[in-house]
Amino acid sequence: MQKFEIETYQNLVTDVGGVTAENLFMFLGKVQEAFEYVPREVVRDVAIRTGFSETRIYGALTSYRDFKVRLECNG
Amino acid sequence: MRETRVLTRRVGKYEPLDLKGYKADGGLVALKKALAMGPESVIEEIKRSGLAGRGGAGFPTGPKWAMAASEKQGQKYFICNAEEGELGTFKDKVLLDGDPWMVLEGILIAAYAIGAEQAYIYINGEYDHTVALWERLVVEARKARLLGDGILGSKFSVDLQVVKGKGLYITGEEFALISSLETRRAASRLKPPYPTEKGLFGRPTVVNNVETIANVPVILANGVEAYHKLGVEGEPGTRLFSISGDVKESGVFELEVGSGTLAEFIDEFGRGTASGRPVKAVQPGGGTSAFLARASLGCRLTAQAIRQAGSGIGTAGVIVYEEGNSAVDIVKGLLEFYGSESCGRCAPCRIGVVRMREIIEKVFQGEGTTEDLEQLRQIGKACVEVSTCGMGQSFPLPVLSALELFPQDFEVAIGKVSA
Repeated sequence: MQKFEIETYQNLVTDVGGVTAENLFMFLGKVQEAFEYVPREVVRDVAIRTGFSETRIYGALTSYRDFKVRLECNG
Repeated sequence: MRETRVLTRRVGKYEPLDLKGYKADGGLVALKKALAMGPESVIEEIKRSGLAGRGGAGFPTGPKWAMAASEKQGQKYFICNAEEGELGTFKDKVLLDGDPWMVLEGILIAAYAIGAEQAYIYINGEYDHTVALWERLVVEARKARLLGDGILGSKFSVDLQVVKGKGLYITGEEFALISSLETRRAASRLKPPYPTEKGLFGRPTVVNNVETIANVPVILANGVEAYHKLGVEGEPGTRLFSISGDVKESGVFELEVGSGTLAEFIDEFGRGTASGRPVKAVQPGGGTSAFLARASLGCRLTAQAIRQAGSGIGTAGVIVYEEGNSAVDIVKGLLEFYGSESCGRCAPCRIGVVRMREIIEKVFQGEGTTEDLEQLRQIGKACVEVSTCGMGQSFPLPVLSALELFPQDFEVAIGKVSA
């Protein structure tokens, strides 16, 4: 799974019982595993759900080795 | 020297997800006792046991819990630190994979004692199998009413979140781990305030290592007196030692504290050095602990004895280096690793580690001078003294001890004496 699909994403949200400040980091990990990156649409959506700014979320995402914020080309 | 299997006694005896197997072998006895005793008595018992943290710093567990428990209002958090990123350390994985219910029981007791309704287990991102196992374990635990509302029919409620680490060494540091769970860049913070006052989302938080928390059910189930029968004065119980490096066999072994010497441990459990050459140096407490030279290998396996010998027990990850290794090469390898892992929060570590890496690279290339070695020593000392967290305070220790114990290796590298 690589392309962002809204249905897959909605299922992930349901699986964790809704996204909150307390589970956001874990949830972003699930998104990374599902899509192999964290799509921009997701950052916007979780920013609204948690009240965190998009800047804060990008600041975090880009600092960890295992998070990607764009789909990487594999040749 | 023999293994004393207390924490690891069930490892391999039951299927990791089989709660019945765990219950049949004395599981959940401690949790039921704890729920009957009440939180204050649980904390008193842990205090009386003298249990100290197994994650490296060795902070006493009971007093740490008491600090967080003293705040009576509002949300509190318990975090089990399973990041285990320290070099040469892989003991927590044995417990997480081999007896996960015991670790969970420890987490539940800790959360109950401090009054936390949300717990986390933050697992090293490279432990894929462990993360998957724990995600299934949480589902099983909810079914068995060991997580959620009204645990085992009591008024105590707690939930556990399994979080997979994202590939940064520094997230093993407690404030960096907390920052990570807050969806921030992983970075340490100035203390005080400690996490027990202002931790996750500004609320009282206890962060305990996996092995620390695994001791809790043992202490409560068998009683403090039984716990004190093992170990030495001031350091009760057993300890999980990892052994790796230039040895014939690497692995994890549970030993009674003080049951033998470092030399015996390397010979009997590591089966001697890989090539048969004598041991040159040992890091007894993971990659950030100071080296001990061969002359110090007679020291007993207690935190106190290792401290007196000039190093620290840290995570009890014993890394062995045999004769034939140059201290310059070893130090270069360590600095390359720590150099890419500094969080950047404080200047001494962020800048110091880069400068130290540059100097060691220069020395390694044969272009170093005596002044360079002196500068390496000075930067290292400054870093130890003024860094914010345990990483900056300790990564220069192996460098400083290498300069002291093996000056000839550095002199050969800078061409002052010939090999």
